[in-house]
Amino acid sequence: MGDQPTFTLHIDQNKYLPLDGREVHAILTISSTGAVTTTTTAPAEAAEVIIVDTSGSMSGGKIREARQAASTAVEALRDGVHFAVLSGTDKARVVYPRGQTLVRATPATRKEAKDAIARLSANGGTSIGEWLLLADRLLSAHPDAIRHAILMTDGQNNEGPERFAGALARCSGRFVCDSLGVGSDWAPAELRKVAEALLGTFDFVRDQGDLAEFFRRITQTSMSKTVAELAMRIWVPQTARLAFVKQVSPTLIDLTGKRTDVNPLTGDYPTGSWGAEEREYHLCVEVPPGRIGSEIRAGWVKLVRPDTQEVLASGNVLAQWTDDLAQSTRINGKVAHYTGQAELHELIQEGLSARAAGAVDVATARLARARQLAAESGRADTARLLDKVVEVDPRSGTARLRPNVDKADEIELDTGSVRTSRLRQGGVGG
Amino acid sequence: MSCPVCEAPVLDGDSFCEACGHPLHAPRCAACDAPAVDAEGYCERCGVRQPTARDEAETVLDGGAAGITHKGLRRARNEDAMALLARGADTVAVVCDGVGSSPRADEASALAARTAADALAGGLGQAEAFELAGRAVAELATSPDDAPACTYVSAVVTGDRVSIAWAGDSRAYWLPGGSTPGGAAPDGPPPGGTTADGTTPGGAAGCVPLTEDHVVPTGEITAWLGADAAGVEPHLREFAADGPGLLLVCTDGLWRYLDGYAFPPGRTPLDLSRELLRHALDSGGHDNVTIVLIPLGGQHG
Repeated sequence: MGDQPTFTLHIDQNKYLPLDGREVHAILTISSTGAVTTTTTAPAEAAEVIIVDTSGSMSGGKIREARQAASTAVEALRDGVHFAVLSGTDKARVVYPRGQTLVRATPATRKEAKDAIARLSANGGTSIGEWLLLADRLLSAHPDAIRHAILMTDGQNNEGPERFAGALARCSGRFVCDSLGVGSDWAPAELRKVAEALLGTFDFVRDQGDLAEFFRRITQTSMSKTVAELAMRIWVPQTARLAFVKQVSPTLIDLTGKRTDVNPLTGDYPTGSWGAEEREYHLCVEVPPGRIGSEIRAGWVKLVRPDTQEVLASGNVLAQWTDDLAQSTRINGKVAHYTGQAELHELIQEGLSARAAGAVDVATARLARARQLAAESGRADTARLLDKVVEVDPRSGTARLRPNVDKADEIELDTGSVRTSRLRQGGVGG
Repeated sequence: MSCPVCEAPVLDGDSFCEACGHPLHAPRCAACDAPAVDAEGYCERCGVRQPTARDEAETVLDGGAAGITHKGLRRARNEDAMALLARGADTVAVVCDGVGSSPRADEASALAARTAADALAGGLGQAEAFELAGRAVAELATSPDDAPACTYVSAVVTGDRVSIAWAGDSRAYWLPGGSTPGGAAPDGPPPGGTTADGTTPGGAAGCVPLTEDHVVPTGEITAWLGADAAGVEPHLREFAADGPGLLLVCTDGLWRYLDGYAFPPGRTPLDLSRELLRHALDSGGHDNVTIVLIPLGGQHG
């Protein structure tokens, strides 16, 4: 007590299952006050690595904007934060400080860092995995700090997929990385992998003039984190199976494959670092058939600090079998909403892949359905982007793909599909 | 031996599993038998919520009177309630069954049983106790559409005399001699035990109904306790035992299965109530089951 933000865990579900019901769904809402009242410990230490793509494609206006953005990020660092600036090509290099360590942010070190950033030039290839591995080496010297990297790139990753995957696996769970794609030559799929492996966000900076603002916002968010790394510890009964666990708000991140076994019935799933914020998770447990009237705890969820094993919040996901259809067919609004948001994301991803592969019928069907879901769930921005890719006749409902889609619109649709809307009171998405 | 949760090997004398820290002497689970029931009442191995005192409970008085209430197999919760008290040498029993179509019927039955039993044990008469219980249940309602309701049957046993009050379809029966220790199994129909149409009342061998349900032919009850039952009067009855026997007070969760049932002889009230419960559950356990047995007119264990 005292040196921790307060966490609350709220569970939304319909616990009633029909007699043949085997799937229990629940939405977990975890909120943190973020406020820390210090007793014995100082405010959490933070370690920040800023990674700037300096490959050849960045030359000209882009490298100027990137230098400006990196300087903005350095200015946003609060005093005392350990930091470094890396430049990334087919290799990774520490631009500031000298050597292979982080330095504490002071007015003097910030000035030196900005001077070093001003000398950055664009030349070479792109090996994102190498950049992350160097960031990991620097951050690993600060195991107790909230470790974060911010990465920007404008191009396709040139390194082999296995090297890239190996680097992501190596860094996973060791720091959080938010990434930014600039221009229309980068592949959202690559940065999506970074976001999924390192529990961060990834965004499209459509106008390179906005890059500095994106850097400042990400750095500020990172500076607002007060708890380094929390795990969601989930128990399910011996005869049950955790079908999936996903973060569903503010963005979709599938955590199912990130399990670390605690015991045969219990696993830890990483959630990254926390500030004052609210996130939602969707849990699905497959349970064995149950007797009418009997109630089970189908899931036991605890938010845990892995270093101290301290439980910050906990809750039960329940299941109870009934032959009352009025009870078992009632669908929880939040479960339905986020099931729809996940489906929208999948439809967009499948639709865009099919479109790229020339499968016109599949692409048309998926994207038209996505257009409908987006409108129904209050995703006006997504619906507007879908309108630029697929055209739906409002009277006949007939859909066709639009020719000559702006590449930037496509990237924005692709990257934006992981962002979910919240369920408003009254059940309409927003 | 292995830990019920993580399956790591543990030693006989260990208090906690060395691998996962789980306590090894936790209560055993009613469903999977693992010693893994946690403080919240869930099994940490199979997840099953353990029955609470409201789900199933037994009461035994010094004189041998016994009561059991049980959730049954098909209902999510137990909306039956019972109260069984001694008042000096007398015994007071009240059994109520929450009306399934009313809200918070479990609260209604619990409150009615407790209120009436306290009143009867305090020396009030049957009609007054009924009225107090009825008023208490009526006060649970927040509006005419939110009116918890329950049935009612009460019995006060004084020596070999019984006074009974009821509303609804919860019942009292007289089980003469044969079903008590030392008695003989009854031969043929019980004394006074045939109705006008010649059938055995209640359909069970060896028992005499003491109450008449307030029901219409389609099965709906016509009297109950609740805000929507203003002016309901209980039926009252006095009964004198002409020999040793057991007074059975029960809800429809039991009596629906008594058709053709032969009460086994030579049981204590507690053993017989357990056996009756088993019979109700074996027969389907469709409803909550509540059984109270009070010995009178002789020596009972």
